[in-house]
This record gives sequence, C-alpha cells and structure tokens, in this order.
Amino acid sequence: MASADKPINTDVPEKDVFALHFLQSLSNLRRQNTFNSPEKTNDRVKKIKKAAYVSMARAAGGTNRLWSRALLRRAAKENNKIVRFPRRKKRVTCLRRRSNRRDPVEEEEAERLRNLVPGGGGMGTSKLMEETAHYIKCLSMQVKVMQCLVDGLAPK
Amino acid sequence: MDLTGEFEARSYGGGATREATRLESLHLGDEFRQLALPPENAGGFTALLELPPTQAVNLLRFTDSPSSSSQAAAVTGIAPPPPHSYGTLTFPSNSVLMDRAARFSTEHHQNGNVSGTSSVPSNSSVKTEPAETDSSQAVNNRSGKRKDSDKKAKSWTKKNKSSEENENLPYVHVRARRGQATDSHSLAERARREKINARMKLLQELVPGCDKIQGTALVLDEIINHVQSLQRQVEMLSIRLASVNPRIDFNLDTILASENGSLMDGSFNGTAMQVVWPHQVTETEQSYHHRQLQQPQQWPFDGLNQRAWGKEEDQDHGQ
Repeated sequence: MASADKPINTDVPEKDVFALHFLQSLSNLRRQNTFNSPEKTNDRVKKIKKAAYVSMARAAGGTNRLWSRALLRRAAKENNKIVRFPRRKKRVTCLRRRSNRRDPVEEEEAERLRNLVPGGGGMGTSKLMEETAHYIKCLSMQVKVMQCLVDGLAPK
Repeated sequence: MDLTGEFEARSYGGGATREATRLESLHLGDEFRQLALPPENAGGFTALLELPPTQAVNLLRFTDSPSSSSQAAAVTGIAPPPPHSYGTLTFPSNSVLMDRAARFSTEHHQNGNVSGTSSVPSNSSVKTEPAETDSSQAVNNRSGKRKDSDKKAKSWTKKNKSSEENENLPYVHVRARRGQATDSHSLAERARREKINARMKLLQELVPGCDKIQGTALVLDEIINHVQSLQRQVEMLSIRLASVNPRIDFNLDTILASENGSLMDGSFNGTAMQVVWPHQVTETEQSYHHRQLQQPQQWPFDGLNQRAWGKEEDQDHGQ
C-alpha cells in the first residue's frame, strides 16, 4: 500500500547553531588536562574529529534524524556511556527489513551509501536517500564552520 | 415517427442524447422500431427510469436473466452489456457500450445479419470489458477499504486518463495508466519507484554537477563521491585544527571574536543571536574593539562546563 508522500523535509539549522555546538565541544576538550600537550597529535586529531561529528549530529537533528541518532549512539558506545533515546511513535527501523525493498539495480550503490552514512544499515532505500540528503547538507555546513575557524586561527 | 420525438424528449444527460442521435442516424426501419418498442406496460416503467426505451428494456432483460441476453440481442439488434460483476450499473456507463454496439450494428443493418453481428460486438466489447473490470477490480482490491461504488464507475470510465490522486490519506489511489500492468504488486512497485525517483531528484539538486548526468547509477556514484569528499574535508580540517590548537589556550576570546567576524562576513543570516561572554573572558576587551560587532551577540555559555556527551541539545534549535 503506497503511503502519501508528504513533502520531504531536509532543513538544517543555520550556521551559527553548528558553530555554537562545535565551539562548545572544543572548549570542553580544551578543559581536559591531557589535551593541551600530548606528544602525539593523532590523538588530538581523533578527538577533534569525533567532537566535530558529535557536535554536528547534535546541532543538526538531535534525535530526530536516523543518522544523527546512529552517530551519537556509536560515539557514546566508544565512551562507554549508555545513551537512552526517547521512544518514537513508529519504530520502523526493524520492521522495514523486507527483502522486496532491495530489488532494483542500484542496490550495489545503495550498499556503498549505507556504509558511508551512519545508520544506513537499517534503512530502506527511499529512507536512505532522504537521510543522505540531510547528511550532505549538515556535513557541508560543518565543513564551512570548521573552515571559518581555521581561517580565523590562521597565523597572524 | 413519434419514437424519434420520444428520444429527443427524453434527452436527459449526455448519454441519452448520444443515444438519441445515434439511433436516429440509423434510419430505423419500421419493423425495427416495432421490435425496439417495448410493450405498453413498460412505457410507464421507462418513464420512471427516465431512459430511452431500448436501454430500459435491455436493463430489464439483463437484470432478469443473463442467459436471455443473447435472445435480446437477436431481437433488438443491439448487443446487451456483458454481465458485470457489479450490482449497480450507472446509466452513463451503459450508454458507452450502447454506442459501441450501435456503431457496429450500423454496418449490418438487416435482421438476418443481426444475430451474426450481435455476437461480434458482444465479443469485442466482452474482450475489452474484462480488462477494464480487472483493472477496476484490482484498484478496488487495493484500496477496497475506502472505495465506494461511485469510484468503481469513475475508475472504469476514466481508464484512458492517467492521473494519480494524492489525497491527504494514508492511501494513495493510483489510477491504472494505459498499457501498464495493474496488479497490486506492480502498482506498489511503481509507487515505490516514484518515491525513490523523487528523492533522487532532491539529491541531484544538492550535489553540484549532478543534473547533467543521466542514469541513476552514475548519479549515485557522484553522490557517494561527494559524501566521501566531505568526510575527507572534515578530517583535513580537524588535522589543521589540531595543529593550531595549542594556541586556543590563551586565545579563546580571539577565536570567538574571529569566529563571529568570519561568520558575519560570510553568508550569515544575521539573526540576532545573543552571546554571553563568560565573565573571565570579558577582561580582555581589546579583542572586541578590533572587530566591528554590528550586533551584540550572546551565547548561552552558562552550562558549558557541565555538558555531558549524551545529553540532548534541543533548546538551541528554538533560536
């Protein structure tokens, strides 16, 4: 039974929301004692990268988007923190796993997309594309914020 | 004589007028008219039905017994409608069949050929009928919970039009288009494919340089490349930030000031976000004066130190 297609909503918040979250996470990182002078920069890089993704997920959708939820859950698991999300009205991620949704020829590409987008494993193809659109928008916004920051911190 | 007058007088609606003109153009012979004319007691009945008598007679014959429909064909020279599975026949739909049958019967006017030709139009009309009944039945089965008999007739007469209705209901009533399969599986499949195509179009607009490409596989390739490039950019920028980072210790205020400056120079929307500087930062005021802050900005930095990872940040979206 085909469901009525409401207009697909892929709005992302403004740049300042992303900037706010990212800067907050950065200053959080800064306050940790081990952060300021570790010998290896790789740890710092990894932490900053993780902070970037988590702040992006929180700024962009919180728990309203599948990919942000998956991202936050993944990050929290690495921190060994248990994250609890409020139950949504329809828990469709497990119900929709039917084989007839994965027939068409584009399935290999969809598989690659699933590996890229967080949380892609549990989505049908149409939902996957919706989430990808939102993810792309949020990623580009985050990249802009980080670029601004790097430019602002450029050697004066 | 007065029969044609009767036809014209009883021109109710489009179907009846069509019927009237069609039969008039047949140049009916007298004996034909005699046959077509119903018995007297049926005159009152047809007046009740507000139909041309032939149609009413056919309806009578048809509803009484489908087996006698062939006899009625031989008598009246007009092929009866093949048995529908619907109980309620709407009269306009009946007249469409009448038109077709009448069209065939104009070619062979004589009574001797009537029985021969009556089988032909009935066959052809019967052949086209099951296709339409199947489609409308399939449409009925698919959205049977919400359909009434009104829609059955509409779906049958609108078979040649292709339109997809998107009512504000959980169900979409999709009309079967010409030349397409109409079982429920392919309908659902088609609806799903259209959903996917709509989303693909959305993605195409998002990714630069994707409108020119034809074919879904290449577009998907482009999209995947774009996502990968964005993720690589994030990694590069975080590396650069990490190398720059030791300077943040004593220059948080300049970072924030420069951040505000660059954000405002860029495509910043200019919504007045209020930034509350933490009180230890407000000591260094020279960073303020270096920039032109058109709008004072406040950021809720109050709970900054106590932010936990798993906490949901929903209050910021309202701004």
